[in-house]
Amino acid sequence: MELYLYTALFSPLVGSLIAGLFGASRKTSFTGLLTSGLLLTSFISSVILLTYVMAGHTVHVEMMTWIATGDLYIPFGFVVDQVSVTMMMVVTTVSTVVHIYSIGYMSHDKGFNRFFSYLSAFVFSMMVLVMSDNFLGLFIGWEGVGLCSWLLIGFWYHKESATWAANEAFIMNRIADLAMLIGIFMIYWNLGSLQYDVVFAHISILPMPVITWIGIFLFIGAMGKSAQFPLHTWLADAMEGPTPVSALIHAATMVTAGVYLVVRANPIYSEIPDVGNAIAALGAFVAMFAATMALVNRDMKRIIAYSTLSQLGYMFVAAGLGAYWVALFHLMAHAFFKALLFLGAGNVMHAMHDELDPFKMGGLKTSMKWTWILMTLASVALAGIYPLAGFFSKDLILEVAFVEQHYILYSVLLITAGMTAFYSFRLVALIFHGDKRHLEHGIHPHEAYTFMLYAMAPLAILAVISGMVFKTPYYLMVTELLPAVQYHIHNHTTFWIMTIGTQLFVILAIAYAYKKYAKAVKVDKKVESGFFYQLLYNQYYIPKIYDEVFSKPYLQLSKLAWKEIDLKIVDAIVDGIANTIYRTGEKTHTMQNGNLSSMLRWMVIGLVVLLVLAVAFTAGYNAVNLQAM
Amino acid sequence: MQEHILSILIFFPALAAMLGFVVHKDGAKAYGITVAGIEFFLSLWLWHIYDPMVSGMQFMESAPLVSAFGINYLVGIDGISLFIIILATFFTLIGILSLTETRRVKDMIITLLFLEMTMVGVFAALDAIVFYVFWELSLVPMLYIIGAWGGPLRIYASVKFFLYTFTGSLIMLVGMLFMAYFYYQATGQWSFSILEWYRLILPANFQMWLFAAFFMGFAIKVPMFPFHTWLPYAHGQAPTIGSVILAAILLKMGTYAFVRFSLPLFPDAAVAFMFPIAILAIIMIIYAAMVAYAQEDIKQVVAYSSISHMGVIILGTFAMNVEGISGSVFLMIAHGVVSGALFLLVGVIYDRRHTKLMSEFGGLASVMPRYATIFGIMMMASVGLPLTINFVGEFLSLLGFYKQSHSYTLVAGTAIIVGAIYMLSAYKKAFFGPVTKEENKHLKDVNRTELLGLIPLVVIAIWLGVYPKPVLEPINNSVEAIVQLMHDKAQTPEAQKRIPNLATTGTMNSVSEAH
Repeated sequence: MELYLYTALFSPLVGSLIAGLFGASRKTSFTGLLTSGLLLTSFISSVILLTYVMAGHTVHVEMMTWIATGDLYIPFGFVVDQVSVTMMMVVTTVSTVVHIYSIGYMSHDKGFNRFFSYLSAFVFSMMVLVMSDNFLGLFIGWEGVGLCSWLLIGFWYHKESATWAANEAFIMNRIADLAMLIGIFMIYWNLGSLQYDVVFAHISILPMPVITWIGIFLFIGAMGKSAQFPLHTWLADAMEGPTPVSALIHAATMVTAGVYLVVRANPIYSEIPDVGNAIAALGAFVAMFAATMALVNRDMKRIIAYSTLSQLGYMFVAAGLGAYWVALFHLMAHAFFKALLFLGAGNVMHAMHDELDPFKMGGLKTSMKWTWILMTLASVALAGIYPLAGFFSKDLILEVAFVEQHYILYSVLLITAGMTAFYSFRLVALIFHGDKRHLEHGIHPHEAYTFMLYAMAPLAILAVISGMVFKTPYYLMVTELLPAVQYHIHNHTTFWIMTIGTQLFVILAIAYAYKKYAKAVKVDKKVESGFFYQLLYNQYYIPKIYDEVFSKPYLQLSKLAWKEIDLKIVDAIVDGIANTIYRTGEKTHTMQNGNLSSMLRWMVIGLVVLLVLAVAFTAGYNAVNLQAM
Repeated sequence: MQEHILSILIFFPALAAMLGFVVHKDGAKAYGITVAGIEFFLSLWLWHIYDPMVSGMQFMESAPLVSAFGINYLVGIDGISLFIIILATFFTLIGILSLTETRRVKDMIITLLFLEMTMVGVFAALDAIVFYVFWELSLVPMLYIIGAWGGPLRIYASVKFFLYTFTGSLIMLVGMLFMAYFYYQATGQWSFSILEWYRLILPANFQMWLFAAFFMGFAIKVPMFPFHTWLPYAHGQAPTIGSVILAAILLKMGTYAFVRFSLPLFPDAAVAFMFPIAILAIIMIIYAAMVAYAQEDIKQVVAYSSISHMGVIILGTFAMNVEGISGSVFLMIAHGVVSGALFLLVGVIYDRRHTKLMSEFGGLASVMPRYATIFGIMMMASVGLPLTINFVGEFLSLLGFYKQSHSYTLVAGTAIIVGAIYMLSAYKKAFFGPVTKEENKHLKDVNRTELLGLIPLVVIAIWLGVYPKPVLEPINNSVEAIVQLMHDKAQTPEAQKRIPNLATTGTMNSVSEAH
């Protein structure tokens, strides 16, 4: 099984390196095909590992030593267990699809080879992240996906907005990474190891405050990657990257790394339910916060990005409340339908010549029938309509909140579910129904390449069946490792009222979205100039506040530090002290005349004097010795 | 030959430099490459025959110089100095290989070979006076390189460089003389041997003064805030080769000396000064990073980034535990490789455009893709991405200091944030965006000569990031010996508490062993 583990892990790296060799050369379809093929290999290996794990085994290998000094010992160790194999399946499935899709999507881009190199490098980093058997190994993947995210957001590096967004994402993640490093330091100095099995086996012997701080710091790390408030602004800006990147990195995989971390570290979080509650509360807040911004946004990709943010909030509610398997389940289901939604958006963007404003689209269902069907399907799954994936995973989180008697969280999530349905179908209605507003702009849309649609098909199938078919086997497998808690509402009446009520609520929201946007789009100027609309439209002014409060002052302070403090104060003071000392002797005046050769002369003189002194002392010492004899 | 390997390593370049005077100027570069190549292979051979399991000094040689005062030519290496010596010979070779200077090449080669002697000498010296002589001698060639091949302000820069470091080292010399005197008082014998000094336990208040005297010499060399202002001038004016050697090797003399002298000689004082020095280190990290962010000249960004990284090294050194000190020694190597490479890279663009202002560039990624890739890799190494060489050192340094103070480390850890800010924004300014300047549209990508210098650095930066063991293990063994020595010598309760006793660290391992 080790062979399959290494194959699953390193195939993407091989693909990335080979594609990278052609990075600066002209486009060759070869790179796309090769990386996709290797991804498929990785996927097949993961499937084999999945069957192995489902049979009740796990694989744990230690490839070699990485860092060893003092008492610290960190190997390159990899583990395939119930949790990591789930993540591996999600990562390889979505990334294989996205690779094949990208062959079509990027076919006219001159950075084609470079793109596949970066994309495969990302998959490799993500695999390292989920397969590592220790915290620092996870951190390798953690930073690796950050790097690839930076490369891919800024892929079109001639665009100022893209490179700005790339840097923002990297730096904001680094803030969180510092907290994560501190968490790792705490674990090491308290337990002497960073291996998961050692840490989790002994975490309970630590004093409560220590565990709490470890939990908090690790979670702050998770907040960066998973873009939780207040470190969320980078995710929407990251939509500057090519759309397949948004599908893979900023929807299905990388942003869920934070959720994975909390799920993986469940023995730590189980010890500190208060921190868990705080995580759940933040998650619920983000779920709603992001959904409200999605309600009014006019950028197709940003709407989906906010939706991702909102769904990540759901996952954190589940993870925070101790329903780790539910969080992981929603992570999986969400990856499938959200990636599908993004890829559909990619088709639309291609057809619309990179137009992103859905208000300039409309009526595309005639010309892009399959994309319409796929995106509608993904939106239905996202809204959580029975029997699609979202119903099983998202409604389960609602049930968790209810069963755990967190009624406020439950209400927030319920309302958010309505919003989710509304903004999803607002988007579908604006793009695919109503008048063909794009004709005014002289755009004649066309459907994507057939093979791109075929590439999306697996995701569509998974978005439909993954909830229904996978839930039981997934539960049986993953609860070998995660706490097996069933969340059932025991009272049948309550259960049915809740389920049907939620479904009706969601369907009403969808109907309202269709009613409002599917026919003619009436823009209500009064609403749009209102305070709330403007607040939501400007993302609660948070990006602006960050810019004013952090970015600009930091730059100004930096300039001040250089031009005033460094060049004037520090340099002048040290120079001044030196000058005073040297001025005390008048003859040393010549030393400062700035003449290089006189400087050299001084040094040679100094050296000679030193030597003469040494010889003289020796001679004198010997003379004294002789006298003594 | 094995017994005299260190002497050969020290004096071979100097002898070759003397002979270099008679070499024809057209053959000077080839001559230089040959000599530096032989020297480099000798240093690799040294690594080969070095026994990594021995923590103490190896290949020691001794010859009396002024026996009345116990001044001996005493050299030897351990895991700490071994790799800095290899780094020095390596960078001399790389520097000569990728030399693009056309003015007075022969003088440059001879100067570089002399410089190589002084660098190897400093790191191999085990006698304080020998150390001091090489330390001071190293100033001369560097002064000459900046003064003769530098930019318009070269005289000011070189004088500033000289005065700062010379002042510091004079104070250090006074400290050394006092140290020898105390040794004489305690034992009745004069000695400048560092190894003999190690055995001397000084009263804590003596240690304070001596620590301060040594500190002045080392801190200016590092350079630590607020004595750092000579560095931007020196880098700003120095030719590429000067900056490369200065950043990669000469700055390491200061941090190396902290590990070699300050910690084992004055453990109580080192612990007493731990937090004041940590504050200086944190100022270096954050303040220098901010100043780097404000720069308009890309070379100054790299120059200030050096100060910021040296802050992390200082912090690791003063962590007083094996993790921290090993990390800081490793980071010395790492920073040498990475900053050396970055200065070489800046040199590449300077040779083409004769400017270092970032506003003059923009969009270079599309014109010079290979250059942008190598720069990108080195930038990411500088930012401390895992699996690059810097991460190992940075992580261990911070991890080590975390044992001493949570809050200081939290603040110092912002290094990973502020470092990303100035590096990424500099990269964005130079490489991203549209090509705005006409003269940038047809720049040639890196050529073979330049790749010859850069590729090995890229390989090392990744190799030692993925597999640091060959270097980290010998470092670790020698650092363990130093930490144990410090613990055994510690007198104040504070120092005894802060410096771990490796002989009985069973408690830490208990959990791992249980596993």
